[in-house]
Amino acid sequence: MLLYGLDFLVFVGIFGIVALSLNLEFGFAGIANFGKVAFFLIGAYTYALLSKIGIPFPLCLIAGALTSALFGLLISLPALRLRTDYLAIAILAFGEILRLIVKSESWIAGGDWGTSVAPAISIAGASHHVGVLVNIGLVYFCLLICFVIAQLLANSPYGRVVRAIREDEIAAEALGKDRAKYKAQILMIGSAMVGVAGGLYVQYLHYVLPDMFVPMITFTVWIMVLLGGPGNNWGALLGAGLVELFKYGTNLAKPILPLDPINLQYILFGVLIILVLFYRPQGLLKESPIKTKALELVRYGKGVVNNKAGK
Amino acid sequence: MEEALLRISEVSKHFGGVYAVNAVDMEVKEGGIWGLVGPNGSGKTTLFNTILGLYKPDHGTVYFNGKCISNLAPHDIYAEGLVNAFQLPRLFYQMTVLDNMLVAARGHQGDRLVNSLFLRKGWQEQEKGLIDEAIEILEFVELGKWAFSPAGELSGGQRKLLEVARGLMAKPRLLLLDEPAAGINPALGKTIFQKLKDFSGNGTTFFIVEHRLEILFEFAKWVYVMYRGRVVTQGEPHDVADAPAFYQAYLGGG
Ligand SMILES: Nc1ncnc2c1ncn2[C@@H]1O[C@H](COP(=O)(O)OP(=O)(O)OP(=O)(O)O)[C@@H](O)[C@H]1O
Ligand SMILES: [Mg+2]
Repeated sequence: MLLYGLDFLVFVGIFGIVALSLNLEFGFAGIANFGKVAFFLIGAYTYALLSKIGIPFPLCLIAGALTSALFGLLISLPALRLRTDYLAIAILAFGEILRLIVKSESWIAGGDWGTSVAPAISIAGASHHVGVLVNIGLVYFCLLICFVIAQLLANSPYGRVVRAIREDEIAAEALGKDRAKYKAQILMIGSAMVGVAGGLYVQYLHYVLPDMFVPMITFTVWIMVLLGGPGNNWGALLGAGLVELFKYGTNLAKPILPLDPINLQYILFGVLIILVLFYRPQGLLKESPIKTKALELVRYGKGVVNNKAGK
Repeated sequence: MEEALLRISEVSKHFGGVYAVNAVDMEVKEGGIWGLVGPNGSGKTTLFNTILGLYKPDHGTVYFNGKCISNLAPHDIYAEGLVNAFQLPRLFYQMTVLDNMLVAARGHQGDRLVNSLFLRKGWQEQEKGLIDEAIEILEFVELGKWAFSPAGELSGGQRKLLEVARGLMAKPRLLLLDEPAAGINPALGKTIFQKLKDFSGNGTTFFIVEHRLEILFEFAKWVYVMYRGRVVTQGEPHDVADAPAFYQAYLGGG
């Protein structure tokens, strides 16, 4: 039972990173990335292949981030030309193509059967519990870095521009903002984050195989972000926690459930997403306002430029 | 010959069979308020959008400050110092009024990715200055006390004012205003024009489309009249007001 709880924490951490990265793309920049899992896959396979040839794990993670970011950049090029909905379908297809490639090309990493991946940190003679605890440390360290980056971006003039592009890209463009550049940067950062998560994921599970990267993963992460509240980094984490809790809950309840928990999850996820979109389109937490030191100063006293400015 | 700030040469733009803008020639020289009038559907907004790079002209060239800008992206045209306030406000509705203003600010160091992550000290001071400027402009369009409200909560007239204020915040050399006084009470409309005139002393030239002719004619130093995509007459306001073409445009078009 304790192990189950620890395992849960690892997954919340890993998917917390993925949710943060989708929130950056969708919540702040308005990019409907329906191919999230593709970048997760790229990070995972990069990690698996490099660690096989003996590269130390931090480098494997970084390489996963960079490779994924590179693909993020590549996908952003048509993204500038395509309408949002077409782009969504294009990225979705991109993810499926990647999955089918690693599935059918068995020389890459064992094809359909996948391949084993060594854990990032293995301590000789340590119990399984210790192994999971070490993973919690590693995962939450990475999560912290991603969270800090996401918060810095959200609360900066850069984040303000990105949100403006989400609100009205024509107006932002007419106010001097190169939307193509900003979107490319956001897709690169978002992809880098999910790339790290992919590496963490496979080293924790000790194996990688194509069917870990089905489109359902993308939709699960979308539910996390929509439920938690797009445009709010805490919301993304909350969403990740709740969705994972729900998954673990249904798995635990397996013996008393009338149908397979996986199928049940799919059905309930569908219902959940409809309920959220209908009754709380802004998610559980509402979008966080932009906070910079200068704005705070004006808003809350000290150095008030004009007292009428406060509401 | 002194090169005009904005020179539009033989510009045409059509939508299907409709010649919204048809072989238009215009010049706007540095300084003051310049007017563009014409009945509904005469092509004023289409001309502005073409100048801004939002539409590519089907024919002709737009020069700004002596440079051809017809093939530049809108954000590069902003960088040249040419900015616009839309006829139908295009605000960032979920963002605060003040954040709307700050997006428009020119040369904000914090707009750059690296600076947002690693060099935050650098732009914090700059942002303080920009906020002061923004609040000052907001005060002048009577939006000061709304600074921290979402733009989506503003009334129609206030949205229009914020659209204008955002244009001013961009400190352009030439600001195109598409009906700035529409939907605003007449007294405030007039005050705004008075302020714009003051602003034009600080290096911003205004090119304004306005249906409230009595206000525009009081402040403009030169007025173009468009009708069915063409410039039918131009001149100083009192001359234009007497021109037969001006009457024909308004009576004939309606
Ligand atoms: N995107 C478009 N697609 C098709 N036709 C358009 C488009 N935009 C404008 N038009 C047409 O072009 C003509 C000029 O329109 P435009 O909006 O430029 O006029 P305007 O002078 O700004 O009018 P108003 O005073 O009503 O704002 C009109 O006949 C209009 O119907
Ligand atoms: Mg118009």
